[in-house]
Amino acid sequence: MGIMEKSLETAGYLEHSGAHLYSVLHGVSDPLARVLLVGPFASERHFSYIPWVRWARFLAARRIEALRYDYRGVGESTGVFEDMSFSSWDEDVRFLADWLKTRSPSLPLILHGLELGALLASKVFAAGVGDALVLWAAPTNANEVLRVGLLRHIAVDHAFRYGNERKPVADYVRRLETEPLQVNGYQWTSRLWRESFKFEMPLNGGDDHDVTLRGEGPVRPVKLDKTAAALVRGSGYASINPDLGRLFRENFEWINKALTERARRQS
Amino acid sequence: MKGAIETREVITVADRGISLRGTYHKVQEDISSSLLGPNERDHIGMLFLNPGFLPRAADGDSAIYWAESFAKAGYPSFRFDLPGLGDSDGDVPVEMIDFAHLVNTGHYAPTLSALAKSITKRFNLLGVVVVGHCAGAVSAIYAAAASNEIKGLVLLDPYFHLARKSTTIRKTLRFWVPRYRLAGHLSDIYDRLKYYRLLLAGHRLPNNANVSLIRCWNQLASAGLPTIIFTAPKPKPKEGEFDYFRYLNLKSDGSRHVVVKHIEGTNHSFVKGTGKQAFLKHTEQWLSNCFPPRPRTDIDSSDHQRSNIAEMNATANS
Repeated sequence: MGIMEKSLETAGYLEHSGAHLYSVLHGVSDPLARVLLVGPFASERHFSYIPWVRWARFLAARRIEALRYDYRGVGESTGVFEDMSFSSWDEDVRFLADWLKTRSPSLPLILHGLELGALLASKVFAAGVGDALVLWAAPTNANEVLRVGLLRHIAVDHAFRYGNERKPVADYVRRLETEPLQVNGYQWTSRLWRESFKFEMPLNGGDDHDVTLRGEGPVRPVKLDKTAAALVRGSGYASINPDLGRLFRENFEWINKALTERARRQS
Repeated sequence: MKGAIETREVITVADRGISLRGTYHKVQEDISSSLLGPNERDHIGMLFLNPGFLPRAADGDSAIYWAESFAKAGYPSFRFDLPGLGDSDGDVPVEMIDFAHLVNTGHYAPTLSALAKSITKRFNLLGVVVVGHCAGAVSAIYAAAASNEIKGLVLLDPYFHLARKSTTIRKTLRFWVPRYRLAGHLSDIYDRLKYYRLLLAGHRLPNNANVSLIRCWNQLASAGLPTIIFTAPKPKPKEGEFDYFRYLNLKSDGSRHVVVKHIEGTNHSFVKGTGKQAFLKHTEQWLSNCFPPRPRTDIDSSDHQRSNIAEMNATANS
């Protein structure tokens, strides 16, 4: 696969369930495959944005058309965050995977999720959508993701308080179980918190090696190390645009291998 | 995929070979005709920049909330990603400190200035008020000093010092403070020494002051550029930290055009507590004083005049 000079990037809105999903298509004139990039949860979106866009451009430069988007009620998409649930965001993934697939049904479709996005992509893949699945920093359930965000919110909150004014984590959790809580600028509802425990990864696979999900296609789970920490802010990082060349190359090679294998099986 | 929806549109501005991507929030009283094309003539536009390296939506999507609100109040609003940030083309440095160096030396000012010019022309605006947060505020000050289209500034937690790598003492303390009580006491002594050093220095600028930015600021203050500054409480404020606002207020003769508002109960992101609403309320008041939205009747009559002129030109050409 050659490296193209520049991809064709189109940003716009796709209408779904009464909202407009902000999407950016990293178009390719003669694509070999398409990938749907399912990004991380709410506030994490902002901190992983630079490397996430670079990954989309990296793929497009290698003839893999990439579509990235904002969850309903988050970022540039319309919708009210507090009205959303994990099933709303699950529907978004299905809708966008369909949209991408209909652009040229014969091309393979890869789902790639980061953090909560990995959970969403897995659910859709488990339902038979897509030809391969890439998972970066996949949690076991959505509460893992929410808890990291909550702990960060508490750390900032504590920085402004002294002694007894500082409440333990359990107090925040207790409050969240009965009333909404504003976390990093988003209004988390008790419903979202409760649902997060039940929204679980449908896969059983190890880290950093290939696993197969119900014979649907190859799956690559990747645990991100500290060199890729900018993608998941919870890991803590100092650089805003780290050199992720190795991560990108390795994942691209895996995708390339999965596509070759698929073509071989079909012929 | 649609490039525009009822209230928003994705727009692109080309600057020196790269595409800058942004969102345009239309004045909602005028939606039916704005769908036909740029027609925000004689309005003041609001131009939002990235807060630091974050995408144009900002923390908790606050910039979207503010831009939509200003558009409803009659100010067409634009949120753009600077080169290498968000959806725009370009690159940014690997390390945060190198990005801060670019910001602090005015690297983004020519781009922002070109952006202000391009938007003003394309949407027939009177000019733009730039909304800059943190590093965005620094870029906004540099750009305003070099632009005729920037008519005002809304700055959230601007800073006037240069970023420096932490000293070895500070790094050591930062490592040990959470671990040992003694290190906590040493950290207090360190802060106290810093306080006395600043006290002895009186109103002299600290060594790490961003002198070229302060020069730009003084130039803008002398020119009477309407400016509103918002500050948020800092976590455990340190005594003796240099008070740049007091210093700038004493030094500049045009400070009557500068309004400073401190918002309690929020933090640097301005999304915690009532920060988001307080910012909106104060900025709308300030806008209506400095840049009152033009009554529709005025615009309609000037539209009518323009359409008469257009008809006259068409007749003359036929």
